[in-house]
Amino acid sequence: MDAGRIQKELKEIERDKKSGVSVQLNGDNIHRLTGFLEGPKDTAYQGGYFVVDIKLEDQYPFVPPKMRFRTKVWHPNISSANGAICLDILKDQWSPALTLKTALLSLQALLASPEPDDPQDGVVASQYIKNQPLFQRTARQWTEQYATRELASQDDEKVLSITSMGFPREMALTALESTHGDVNAAINKLLESC
Amino acid sequence: MTFDVEIVRWHAVASWTWNAGDDVCGICRMPFDGCPPDGKYPGDDSPVVWGVCGHAFHLQCIQKWLQSQAQTDQRCPFCRRAWEFKAAAPSS
Repeated sequence: MDAGRIQKELKEIERDKKSGVSVQLNGDNIHRLTGFLEGPKDTAYQGGYFVVDIKLEDQYPFVPPKMRFRTKVWHPNISSANGAICLDILKDQWSPALTLKTALLSLQALLASPEPDDPQDGVVASQYIKNQPLFQRTARQWTEQYATRELASQDDEKVLSITSMGFPREMALTALESTHGDVNAAINKLLESC
Repeated sequence: MTFDVEIVRWHAVASWTWNAGDDVCGICRMPFDGCPPDGKYPGDDSPVVWGVCGHAFHLQCIQKWLQSQAQTDQRCPFCRRAWEFKAAAPSS
């Protein structure tokens, strides 16, 4: 794992306040980061604040970062069930000249220009093609309901309520992920595995 | 007026740099004049190489990338053109 490069990337993202994307470390673990991006203007996602789970493998930057939306998004190329993303640069079109910042900016660009012919979520894609007004309404409604700074910080509070019990942050995140955000179930799970 | 000077000893200092334009390697983000993550010493131990497309990387970095790709699909990380090492310019 090239920790030096990741530290440099994080500094560069922090320096640039205008891009509308940011990345947060989860404790000391550089394999597991959290990304944040603002919905692009003049789209159904405008005004939204989206949280992205980022996992880095040891071979990074020679393999792409694993990214998944933690915020629920209504978009043809993002699974409405689990946030999985269909984007070429996160798969076979990755290049080590790309960075976490350029990848998050590409997610912003993906929100602005869906590719319904290469869908991740078939239901959303067919709605996008067959009923554009309904798609726009649904996407906007999901943005207003789920992509809020308030929910993002509540999400963080859930993590904090678990880390305050002494569990490391990455364990809290994994447990919350597996229980779909249910704090009590996550704590039970962690206690059982102790 | 002239001085009659005798040189007792002298200390020469030289500086060097890779003529690589961009100052950091696009893969490891370290200066070309420094080391990639696996390099120990700058200079000959951490050489800089060019592709025919004109993009430069630390040799170790571009090799790692090419090795991770299929033999038939080796591309420049910057411009995605087929990667081919550019022959070193004859030293003058």
